[in-house]
Amino acid sequence: MSLEHFKNRNVGTQNYRMLDLDPTPVTGWGQFKQVVRRSLSLELLVGLKVTLREMLKALLFGKMHTTKYPFEKLPIGPRYRAIHEMKRLLESGHYRCIGCGLCEKICPADAIRMDTHYGENQRKEVSEYTINFGRCIFCGYCAEVCPELAIVHGGRYETASEQRASFSLFEDMLTPIDQLKSQREFPGYGSVSVNADTNIKKTPLAY
Amino acid sequence: MSVREPNKTITVTIDGQVCRGEWGQTILQVARANDIYIPTMCYLSKVEPIASCRMCVVEVENVEGMILSCQEKAVDGAVITTHSDDLYRERQNITKLYDVNHPLECGVCDKSGECDLQGKTVEFGVDEQTFTARDQHRPVQDWGFISYDPALCILCEKCVHVCNEVVGDEALQISVGGYKSTIINAKLDQQCAECGECMAVCPVGALVSTDFKYSANAWEMNRIPASCAHCSSGCQLYYEVKHESIDTAQEKIYRVTNESEFSSLCGAGRFAFDYANQEATQDAAAFDRAVAALKQADTLRFSATITNEEALLLEQFRTAHDVKLVCDDAHGYQRFLRAYREVSGTTLYRASLDDVAHSRAIVVLGTRIYDDNPMVKYHMAMASKRHQARIAYFHPMEDARMQNLVTQFVKYEVGSEEGVAALLAATLLHGKALPEALQSTLDELDIGNLSAESNVGEEELEALALSLWKKQGFTLIVGADLYTHPESESIARWIAAIEKYGDFNVLIVPPATNARGVAEICTLSEGAERYTVGYNAPGDFVLSALGEGDLDMPALNQQEGTLVTVDQRVVPTHPALPYGGYTLNELLHAFGIGSRYTIDQTPNLPAEAGFKAVAFDDLPDYFDAIGTEYRGYLLEAHACPANETYTEPDDLPTYDGVLIYRCNEGNAFSPFTARSMREPEKGCLKGSAQFAAAAKIAEGQTIRFEQDGVSYERVFHIDTTLKGTVAIHPTWDRGLSAFALSSYRFAHLKFETTGNDDE
Repeated sequence: MSLEHFKNRNVGTQNYRMLDLDPTPVTGWGQFKQVVRRSLSLELLVGLKVTLREMLKALLFGKMHTTKYPFEKLPIGPRYRAIHEMKRLLESGHYRCIGCGLCEKICPADAIRMDTHYGENQRKEVSEYTINFGRCIFCGYCAEVCPELAIVHGGRYETASEQRASFSLFEDMLTPIDQLKSQREFPGYGSVSVNADTNIKKTPLAY
Repeated sequence: MSVREPNKTITVTIDGQVCRGEWGQTILQVARANDIYIPTMCYLSKVEPIASCRMCVVEVENVEGMILSCQEKAVDGAVITTHSDDLYRERQNITKLYDVNHPLECGVCDKSGECDLQGKTVEFGVDEQTFTARDQHRPVQDWGFISYDPALCILCEKCVHVCNEVVGDEALQISVGGYKSTIINAKLDQQCAECGECMAVCPVGALVSTDFKYSANAWEMNRIPASCAHCSSGCQLYYEVKHESIDTAQEKIYRVTNESEFSSLCGAGRFAFDYANQEATQDAAAFDRAVAALKQADTLRFSATITNEEALLLEQFRTAHDVKLVCDDAHGYQRFLRAYREVSGTTLYRASLDDVAHSRAIVVLGTRIYDDNPMVKYHMAMASKRHQARIAYFHPMEDARMQNLVTQFVKYEVGSEEGVAALLAATLLHGKALPEALQSTLDELDIGNLSAESNVGEEELEALALSLWKKQGFTLIVGADLYTHPESESIARWIAAIEKYGDFNVLIVPPATNARGVAEICTLSEGAERYTVGYNAPGDFVLSALGEGDLDMPALNQQEGTLVTVDQRVVPTHPALPYGGYTLNELLHAFGIGSRYTIDQTPNLPAEAGFKAVAFDDLPDYFDAIGTEYRGYLLEAHACPANETYTEPDDLPTYDGVLIYRCNEGNAFSPFTARSMREPEKGCLKGSAQFAAAAKIAEGQTIRFEQDGVSYERVFHIDTTLKGTVAIHPTWDRGLSAFALSSYRFAHLKFETTGNDDE
């Protein structure tokens, strides 16, 4: 089958195959006969057999297909865009955010705000950082624009809250320092391509 | 102006487009005037071409090689190409060299988003470094109000040229050393002017404000065009505002920028922006009390830190309710201008700041110009640096900070300004065709006696006359000492005579922000009567923009309106911050005066004073591509009845003993600048060691004295740069009382000791 088959939308010109079905009854007597025949032939139980089998499996052997949300959750795709995470530098444990303000600028929902100041270590430091999840549309632009891979999307998708605007602070999104070792890179928008190492040109150092 | 070349028109062809220009313009100027883009890195319109970047190269037909368009004069008939493959490669290579080892910290750099290097790097597609150079350790230097990062510096030299050529401070220099070259601040320990001009022209993030650093990004802030409200220059500036923080949505001014390509600012304009009256609310009870106070008032005292529109409202209130208007800032100036006009026969003085910058000789009389009006001093520096202008500085006190500009310092006795003006007239009008009345008064002058009493030597005047020999383009700058002088009207006539017959352009520097506007619009009287309402001035009921009065008023960065500058230009200003209280306009509604908005008064400003009937929103506020100023409009000149009478000075007053001189030094103009200081400082009395000995005051001692009914308690400090027995007496830290000083700027110091600071 080629792509052409899908592109051709001219109904009626393709090769259709008719299903091998009995003709539809047209008279009242004919319809009555069909109902009686189908009811007495116990065709219903053929379908119910599957249900009963699965029920017995679940009840007697504990083989369950239903996920008991919220006690159980399905694994989520690694590129899924849910509540943001703030990453730390693996070597120093310092947060990666440099306070450049690009995420604040690019955010189409105007959900991000940050305050920065001149830190004691002569670096630009983030005083405060908030994302208004009541406004956030989870478009992923912030993660894409971040030059430091500092802000990314995580898998926490439960954003219901008692308040319309539920704010999240920088510290809440930041990888806990004791879980630094298990911090994983986000493979979605804004991440480094898999062949990044081969694409990098090194600055000549011929002195 | 006779010194400037007559405007001959030339025609050149740039990129196939026929362009007209003036003779003497550079290729770049002609191109810019005709909207043709030539990339530049080091070019700065307000200084002479620096020619350090070579980015502006162009090709001229029949000329071999590439030409620097920034410094090459356009020749009539030249055919110029600004864009070709060769030129692109040349410019790309220059950009590549600038980018070598440039720190990749655009993410945090304050300049990011408005950086010339960023722009050129994108424009010429430089995305890798193919050159190599061993990088070196270049730590960030803290210059106090500015921090300098040599690693980011591209050595375009704009800052150095501005500091030398415009500011005249000579603080910044280049430490030459090939790849190790850096900018150094040679006056770091002796306090440079702290104007921030270097920072404003820096095309990259090498020079940034220490206070602003890393607090906001260029693209986040809202730019509000305005005029500076600190002195009478009314310089163009932008207040850049943004919400204060995540927790506080209130707007806050983060920094002040300006059209630094064409105009300049002093330190007060650039850094003293935080003086808004932001806590004000509409207090109805206070409003009613204010109305009641105005009803019973017979005097309205106000400061000249006010817009023209408000001045007009006050004048309307005066005519309707028969009160006296008192403005101590502007009254002396108004008297001086009137006397000046009686002789000159025209409402406007002739000089503008631009004329000052183009002068070949400048005489300064009766002002400590460095502090009184920094912009006039900048333009004197331009004249000195570009035209080697001779600058004769007549004042009782030498100013060490002006030493590099002043070619002749003439010290006169305090109080002898009238004699000095007459002597100057006699010197500068010598040999000119004069009307009989003037000639006979001049002939009758007892030069020897005047010279002896004022202590201005005849040989000094001869030297001045000699230095003007065979020169053209003279400016006479007169300032605030003269306006409060008891004989100010006589002085004004002599000054006007020098302008009228002596081939001098006179600049009569207004003593306060809008003193000129107030002097034109209001009918002023002297002395308060029984019950005074003060508007930004002391009184029985005080309307104050400093937030310490009985009813709040908006500060000048919360108001819209117009100001009249030293250039006799009516410039618009816009509110940078919201204001929650009542305005003067609303207050006067209770008396049936005023309009819906204060700016509805703009077209009503008096036409006989030179104002035009232009609505506020129609006032232009921009500079064109080659820096021609289109801000508001220039006052129109009107002829006025001339009545030339000159009086020979009587015995000149003598001021013996120790004196104080009222002067706000170093970017502190008024209580408004004081309010914007992060840590409130207190002014101190500064005098020379000689002063200390004569007055018998020790360093660090606190003394109490009185001037104009205001009592001051001041710590005395010895300043080694001062000489003589006159001390500098600042008033900016004393709240509204600073706006009610009308006496002569020099005064005897009668004090009592109140203790020693060290004890």
